[in-house]
Amino acid sequence: MEALYYLLLTLVKILIIVIPLMLCVAYLTYAERKIIGFMQVRLGPNRVNLSIIPIIGRIRGFGQPIADAVKLMFKEIMIPSNADRFLFVIAPVLAMAPALAAWAVIPFADGLVLSDINAGLLYILAMSSIGVYGVIVAGWASNSKYALLGSLRSAAQIISYEIAMGFALVGVLMAAGSLNLGEIVSAQQGNFLHWFWLPLLPLFLVYLISGVAETNRAPFDVAEGESEIVGFHVEYSGMLFAVFFLAEYANMILISALTTLMFMGGWLSPFEGIPVLEPLFAWVPGIFWFLAKVSSVLFFFLWIRATFPRYRYDQIMRLGWKVFIPITLVWILVLGVLILMKLPPWFA
Amino acid sequence: MRPENYQPVEHPASQEYELYFGPNHPGIEGNYALKVRLTGDEIVGIRADGGYLHRGFEKIMEDRLWIQNVALVPRICVPDPPPMEETYARAVEMIGGLEVPERAKWIRAMILEMSRICGHLFILGGTAAPIGQYSNMFWGVADRDYFLDLFEALTGARVYHMFITPGGVRRDIPDGFLDKLSHILDYLEARLPEYDDLFFNNPVFHKRAEGIGIITQEQALAWGVTGPNLRACGLALDVRRDDPYLIYDKLEFDIPTETSGDVLARTMVRRSEIIESIKILRQIIQHLPQIKGPIRCNLPNPLAWNLPEGDAYARTEAQKGELAFYAVSTGGAKPWRVHVRGPSSMHAVQVLEKLCLGGRIEDIALIMFSLDACPPEVDR
Repeated sequence: MEALYYLLLTLVKILIIVIPLMLCVAYLTYAERKIIGFMQVRLGPNRVNLSIIPIIGRIRGFGQPIADAVKLMFKEIMIPSNADRFLFVIAPVLAMAPALAAWAVIPFADGLVLSDINAGLLYILAMSSIGVYGVIVAGWASNSKYALLGSLRSAAQIISYEIAMGFALVGVLMAAGSLNLGEIVSAQQGNFLHWFWLPLLPLFLVYLISGVAETNRAPFDVAEGESEIVGFHVEYSGMLFAVFFLAEYANMILISALTTLMFMGGWLSPFEGIPVLEPLFAWVPGIFWFLAKVSSVLFFFLWIRATFPRYRYDQIMRLGWKVFIPITLVWILVLGVLILMKLPPWFA
Repeated sequence: MRPENYQPVEHPASQEYELYFGPNHPGIEGNYALKVRLTGDEIVGIRADGGYLHRGFEKIMEDRLWIQNVALVPRICVPDPPPMEETYARAVEMIGGLEVPERAKWIRAMILEMSRICGHLFILGGTAAPIGQYSNMFWGVADRDYFLDLFEALTGARVYHMFITPGGVRRDIPDGFLDKLSHILDYLEARLPEYDDLFFNNPVFHKRAEGIGIITQEQALAWGVTGPNLRACGLALDVRRDDPYLIYDKLEFDIPTETSGDVLARTMVRRSEIIESIKILRQIIQHLPQIKGPIRCNLPNPLAWNLPEGDAYARTEAQKGELAFYAVSTGGAKPWRVHVRGPSSMHAVQVLEKLCLGGRIEDIALIMFSLDACPPEVDR
């Protein structure tokens, strides 16, 4: 009975995380199209509205993600005749599942976390590494030159940038002295200058840019560079394609959440310890700060997409191996010295 | 599950493989195919395979009256039609010995320069799109739209104007048109620094474009490269200056050049040409009100209009390069032969193949757009 109760409770908790997450994913696509549309002097989606929802539903285009989902669901799933059917179907799942599973250890506010494990950071690294299998398997199973080329590029890129990302996380681990994400946030206690983005600035930047590369977003979107080889999911259609799409956006939100937790103080208020502002904002719950920070990182993701052209593939690899990995290695060394010297205010 | 009779395709023991680029490909402007042989990402063989937009203009023109062809020629190249009309009209005028009134010449020059700005805005956006920067493309298209509005006010059509007819132009400029034009030019000039920030000075774009698709001066002359692509190699050759037509000998303008001959140089030449065209248009706005007179010479009944026997070769500096029409008349109501020398057919077939060879697959689309190759005009 006890076990059943525990199982049910966990299931409910999972649903409480996953359903809003999927909604966020859906409306991230809407936000992306609106924001980039604004930057590109056009309107973005402005036809479908949801008048059943009171005020917000009347915004033009607000129902677009739902219309898109319905459209994709009713589309036929085409499986190429020489494709490996099992792998072809399983590949989107392999891409999507890790992006959702990683949310198990993300603390939304103090103590508000599904599973408070001590090896949280390791678990995140493990999960984000699995995501690349979805890409490789999709390219392989499609039995198409374009898909295979796209998946090879994407896999090489993800693996290269994972190294730089892993080193950046080593820096966080050294600074916080813990693998538990909650404790990493607690180690950044104080106002926004106490957060890790300042002492770990090079690692923060490397992590942010690697995050963009890791999610195959512009300007590192060679995997689906539509003007080159169309990408690893050329052969996919309908809901299978939509799952890849959802996985990409879920990964974006995940990377933003991790950046927030590890470098931007998670749920902490930016005004802690500042005389006038702290009491003024004392009523704001931690989860609001968390969501606000995640949103700003997401906005950054969209912003660079509208601003930067795509790097060439060899340039991306060069940037990863010859610039980012050395930077992180050097800064880990510097960080060790800073910690030994007990540099205030971060490591005192 | 594989079918029973599945036979894996045996390839020779080689690292090479073949990819089709087009005819419907997001990185290609219009329908145009490229067969690419690759080892890894490197191009070891490339063949341009056009013909998907072949509409047989030169043959159709032989079957229509001289005046009917006015409606046909702008369709040869979609983004930049007025030079086609102008060149055709000039070839007809040379055969028929028609004298174009002064005011019509100024109006023609104005519409040609407006079209040049339009085409450059369009293709500068196009250069950004294959490397994933769609903002610049949308900006270019949005700003081009202001010029299309002007075209609409002037000619009644946004893209295919059919405005320049043999002997003059179809209509005089409407009231207040020059003020509107002046206003749009001010706007565009104020907007160019924003384009600089977004695109021309973008470090990632420089990284992509420097040293890619280099044409040397000797190669450019040997391959018949013209227009901005030629000027990007450092040769200041321009039909407007070398063989002035209309009123270009009365205007002051520079011929912008770059030296490196790569994708970046070609892009920067186009940017400078927008500024030069703005300069030219300002001079036209200043002079045009003083020039009075008819806008068209007297034409015979166009349905029974027999041109005398003869031939003529007219050339124009179009937005994409040197455009020429060679028209032959045997004294009938229809042309005996009209040949179009389009700039893009040189750029898109031979030059594109040679520039891509040894490069990387990602750069194909970038090189093609930087050459400003227009598939409809290649196929004609």
